[in-house]
Amino acid sequence: MALMRLSSPHVHRPGKTGDVMKQVIAAALPGLATLVWYFGWGPLINAVFAVTLALLFEAVILKLRRRPLGFYLGDFSAALTGLLLALALPPYLPWWTTTVGVFVAIVIAKQLYGGLGQNPFNPAMIGYALLLISFPVEMTRWAGPQEVTGAQLSFVDALAVIFAGQGLPDAVTMATPLETFKHKGALTADELWAQSAQLLAGLHAWQAVNLAFLLGGIYLLLRRIITWHIPGALLFTLFMVSGFFYGADPSNHGSPLFHLSTGAIMLGAFFIATDPVTAATSNKGKLVFGASIGLLIYIIRTWGNYPDAVAFSVLLMNLAAPFLDYYTRPRTYGHKQPQKGIKR
Amino acid sequence: MSKIWSFHGGIHPPENKQQSLQRPLEALPLPSRLVLPLQQHIGAPASPLVKVGDRVLKGQPIAEPTGFVSAYLHAPTSGTVVDLVDHSVPHPSGMTAPCVVIEPDGEERWIELQGVDDYRSLEKHELAERIRHAGIAGMGGAGFPTEIKLHLSDDHIINTLIINGVECEPYITADDMLMRERADEIIGGIEIAAHLLTPTHVLMGIEDNKPEAARAMTEAARRSRIDIEVVVVPTKYPSGGERQLVKLLTGVEVPSGKIPADIGIVVQNVGTLAAVYNAVHFGKPLISRITTITGEAASRPGNREVLIGTPISDLLAHAGVDPNRLTRLVMGGPMMGYALGNANVPLIKTSNCIIAGAADEFPPAPPAQNCIRCGACEQVCPAELLPQQLHWFAKGREYDKALNFNLLDCIECGACSYVCPSNIPLVQYYRHAKGEIRREQAEQRKAEQARIRFEARNERLEREKTEKEARRKARAEAAAKAQAAKKDDAVTSAPKADPEAALKAAKTAAAVARTKLKKAEKALQIARDSGESDLAALEAEVSAQQQKVAASEAALKAAESTAPAKTPDIKELKLAAATARTKVTKTEKALADAEAKALPSAEKLRSSLATLRSKADAAQHALAAAEQSARPAAPAEATAAATADLKQLKSNAAILRTKLKKARKAIEAGDSSAELAQQVTELEPQLASAEQALAAAQAQQPPHTGPDLKALKSAVAIARTKVKKAQKALDEAGDNDDLRAELAQLQQQAAAADAALEAAQQATESP
Amino acid sequence: MADYRKITLDGLWHNNPALVQLLGLCPLLAVTGSVVNAIGLGLATTLVLVGSNLAVSLIRNLVPDAVRLPAFVMIIASYVTCVELLMQSLTYDLYQILGIFIPLIVTNCAILGRADAFARKNPVMPAVLDGLMMGVGFSVVLVLLGGLRELLGQGTLFSDMQLLFGPEAAGWKLTLFSDYPGFLFAVLPPGAFVGMGLIIAVKNIIDARRKARTERQPQPVEDGGSKRVRVTG
Ligand code: SF4
Ligand code: SF4
Repeated sequence: MALMRLSSPHVHRPGKTGDVMKQVIAAALPGLATLVWYFGWGPLINAVFAVTLALLFEAVILKLRRRPLGFYLGDFSAALTGLLLALALPPYLPWWTTTVGVFVAIVIAKQLYGGLGQNPFNPAMIGYALLLISFPVEMTRWAGPQEVTGAQLSFVDALAVIFAGQGLPDAVTMATPLETFKHKGALTADELWAQSAQLLAGLHAWQAVNLAFLLGGIYLLLRRIITWHIPGALLFTLFMVSGFFYGADPSNHGSPLFHLSTGAIMLGAFFIATDPVTAATSNKGKLVFGASIGLLIYIIRTWGNYPDAVAFSVLLMNLAAPFLDYYTRPRTYGHKQPQKGIKR
Repeated sequence: MSKIWSFHGGIHPPENKQQSLQRPLEALPLPSRLVLPLQQHIGAPASPLVKVGDRVLKGQPIAEPTGFVSAYLHAPTSGTVVDLVDHSVPHPSGMTAPCVVIEPDGEERWIELQGVDDYRSLEKHELAERIRHAGIAGMGGAGFPTEIKLHLSDDHIINTLIINGVECEPYITADDMLMRERADEIIGGIEIAAHLLTPTHVLMGIEDNKPEAARAMTEAARRSRIDIEVVVVPTKYPSGGERQLVKLLTGVEVPSGKIPADIGIVVQNVGTLAAVYNAVHFGKPLISRITTITGEAASRPGNREVLIGTPISDLLAHAGVDPNRLTRLVMGGPMMGYALGNANVPLIKTSNCIIAGAADEFPPAPPAQNCIRCGACEQVCPAELLPQQLHWFAKGREYDKALNFNLLDCIECGACSYVCPSNIPLVQYYRHAKGEIRREQAEQRKAEQARIRFEARNERLEREKTEKEARRKARAEAAAKAQAAKKDDAVTSAPKADPEAALKAAKTAAAVARTKLKKAEKALQIARDSGESDLAALEAEVSAQQQKVAASEAALKAAESTAPAKTPDIKELKLAAATARTKVTKTEKALADAEAKALPSAEKLRSSLATLRSKADAAQHALAAAEQSARPAAPAEATAAATADLKQLKSNAAILRTKLKKARKAIEAGDSSAELAQQVTELEPQLASAEQALAAAQAQQPPHTGPDLKALKSAVAIARTKVKKAQKALDEAGDNDDLRAELAQLQQQAAAADAALEAAQQATESP
Repeated sequence: MADYRKITLDGLWHNNPALVQLLGLCPLLAVTGSVVNAIGLGLATTLVLVGSNLAVSLIRNLVPDAVRLPAFVMIIASYVTCVELLMQSLTYDLYQILGIFIPLIVTNCAILGRADAFARKNPVMPAVLDGLMMGVGFSVVLVLLGGLRELLGQGTLFSDMQLLFGPEAAGWKLTLFSDYPGFLFAVLPPGAFVGMGLIIAVKNIIDARRKARTERQPQPVEDGGSKRVRVTG
């Protein structure tokens, strides 16, 4: 009898990192479906394309690094990164832009740092931020909800728009609510909404998308894949801060509900900020992490240059995550005080 | 029902306990040979008491402890010792260790057992000694010698005794079975432990997945004379960890680096207590235990009563283990047990479970993926550590950082590895890191000790040099003095016993202190190695002992510096007196210090102070006497009162007397030559002066002459015996004048001797 | 006796101020948005390096150690002023583009570093060669990075060369993609950092390969700057 000499423990909970990733991917699908429902085929094509590219780039780099392909691709982290990036991008982004984004996300932001678990920044958000900085034109060309614009792109049309460089017809495009609000100029909120009837009519589409991501997030919470700390703190902070300013000056600030239901808030709160690799780990740290992201989102949305700010806020807090971890260490059993910081 | 607290983290692995609970407890047939490792406990290995070829009886001690933390070992059955060899033993590393191999003769002849009916009538240390002699070591897995935990020093006041019947590891049911079957033995053991520790609470924790055991124990506890509370705790791994159980039942945490006893809690495993019961009531040593044999490869899983030393292969055979299916053999539970490389190792006192695992039950661990910092490990860690962080530090060999992140508080429960989705063997990393850290620390300690030793040596050499110098000077001076003294013929001898005695005393004191220090250090070392026990207290003790050694060495030094005064003259005597005085003041200071700090050394210091004081007085006295005797100019009279000189004086006087007598006789006889007359006139004053000197010397004699006192004493004794003898002879012979006269004379002599002795004693006592 | 070959190789490769010493990164990263900027700054820096090394070497036995740094800075500043004036008269447009980075050459630690580490201890000829080679090595990296960023950022190469080489150079511009959308990231400072990192990585790969090769065959391979050509890849 050949006896195995392995170290304890000898039993292991079923479930692998790949399973976690798969669950997250599954939880994001309702959001994707809602996007497709309101905005046409674009998001789906984008998503499939980005995931394929992500796997491809990952495979190439793994090959270069002489790592076993199947084993590492099987953790589904690359696929998830591709999907999250695609979900954050405008629905009909030209293919080359997506390619650049995925390349940067997988190759530079993830693999150059050593692969899964080693990257200090959320790869999808690095890809997104880079695209936003580099290709402002493409990155701000959003399609409106089909029911509002009235223009329906067939699957083939959508393919052509994305891959053949036809560009998105103006009839389909529409400013997002956040953009509109950002550029309202001297108008008060009420005047703005009175002027943009079209936007008002389509607002529910963006809200539905956020709702779908919220549901996905709740699923993740129930499956205990994420904890409530980061999304809870993020949403609560955003709600409180926007509520404060809205209460003080309703004509110039969006309502809390507006802030919570537009842009990539729910995607960011449940799927992106919770990326364990780049977030704080301790519960206290997670609370601070989430709350800071919420605050930053509001600040950048309101006083910054960009209409939405999930990516930048998350990246900024990624930078602070190790620091947060060092200062929010749990109190070890049998110790009076938790240790703080890192001593040498 | 008392309140239950909870601890952070924990996991719920599949229990797999039913398999081994289907069959009743069975006894394993006598194996064909028994292998008994000399070390089955934490601490020093036992040293064998038998040699190859010895016949042993069942229960006969075959090895004895070699230190404080060590345990007896007994023959599990009668038979012959066939070997004393290195045999592979159950150990994660698969190492071999010295074992006693016994071939049973099948007769099962017991050694004569001596139980006690009423253990309460025994002294506590006697009771503890009995437990020690039964070789009981913690049977829950750690194997810490039990009597140490039950018979603590007075620094530990125990308020809570916790009985660990949790058995949180999956698969294992040995304690469960024991509680069901032998609840009364356990209660009996608890009573003994409670008698020894006198706790105010006795709590027993049982997981709620063992309702039957809980019921049995509650029943039995109700019948007990003492108040035992059976607390059912929720099933969660690792509730059975000592620290976790303490938190669970009392809500307090054992401080890091301390043992439960430091906060007044002692935790004992149920199996251990049953063994204690048997040891005390029946005198039975620990020679068997209940072991669970389970796992998918076993067709007849269950609990077996096995003799310590039974080869695991016997157990496997009895449980019907299919060798073709067996892929992993685990000793202990699946969470913390270790895989054995072969079945040729014996069961030992701590073997609570053997899992014969099949391939599908324990598949090989999948390759580890990268840590994704998911935090799952952190959520389940019962010690509230950051396992992922520790893993990075361990991987990157950043041990100082790992220490800063409390690596040493990890109890290696394996919960983190269990949940890690990336299959990282976290515990393995920690074990390795801990080993490395321990190694590093040991090296550091060694280096530190070497440094201290080196410095001490340098200091000693320096001191010796200066002392030598001082001695040389003193000698030269003394020689010069002696020369001078010879010239004017003054024999200046002074009492010499005192400084020497002081030196000797100081030396013994220093030696004693050093031994004590060594002992304390050893205890500390053992405690460190075993990772148990109260390190802080031991360390404090060591430092106290070090102080003592330092103090006594200082005293020794002082004594040495006075010792050179072997041929003391007045100056040296003065010096001696001064030193003695300084010593006294020093000791007084030390005593005050010790008293202020309530050190245990105060008592000793006090007594040594007393002796030092008397010595100082003696020195002073000797000085005074020497000065006095030095002052009278007459050379013959000037002799001080040393024994030899006294003798000399005596014989001088005697010779003179004889001469004088002779001369007188001659004159009387008519030989009245001028020569003789002159001789007489010469001799007379000489004798007078000699007698005077003798008297003077005798007057000064008693205070300084121990030997003389002795001599006097024996003289008295002899005189008395003579008197007695004479009296007897007189009684026998009837009236006999001669005898009577002799008796009278003897009686007189005895009286004189008595008086002399008394005087001498008085003189010595009140110098 | 100075080893001119070693000086040359050090400047160009083994001790390249930009890739190995990581000196002068501030202008390096700031102005390498295009090839022409890179060449302009590279030339200016090289000129100053050669001049200052020459001067420092000449006065190396006259200046006491305690005040040498102020003296060196004075020398460098004078050369920078000369170069600045020259550029104003010859290539005013480029001068306008490079702006503050020309005066800032004074603070380029590569220059002060060479003066203090080499020219101060060596005779004139080696010092001048060292200045030249360091300057060339620095310029090469500048141009590489400029090319990379120009290509990625604007999809062109050698655009606006007329700024430096007169009107006829306007035609040198290579447009690789006609409707290149522009990649702003590459033109912005983060792009410079990433590009720089990649170039250093490539150099390290080459070094590692060469080391592995020389270890395999004890005969050292005869090569010099030729390997450098691969850097462009
Ligand atoms: S459970 Fe594993 S993967 Fe998750 S944080 Fe801990 S070590 Fe990393
Ligand atoms: S093995 Fe150590 S680190 Fe892991 S859960 Fe147990 S105590 Fe925590």
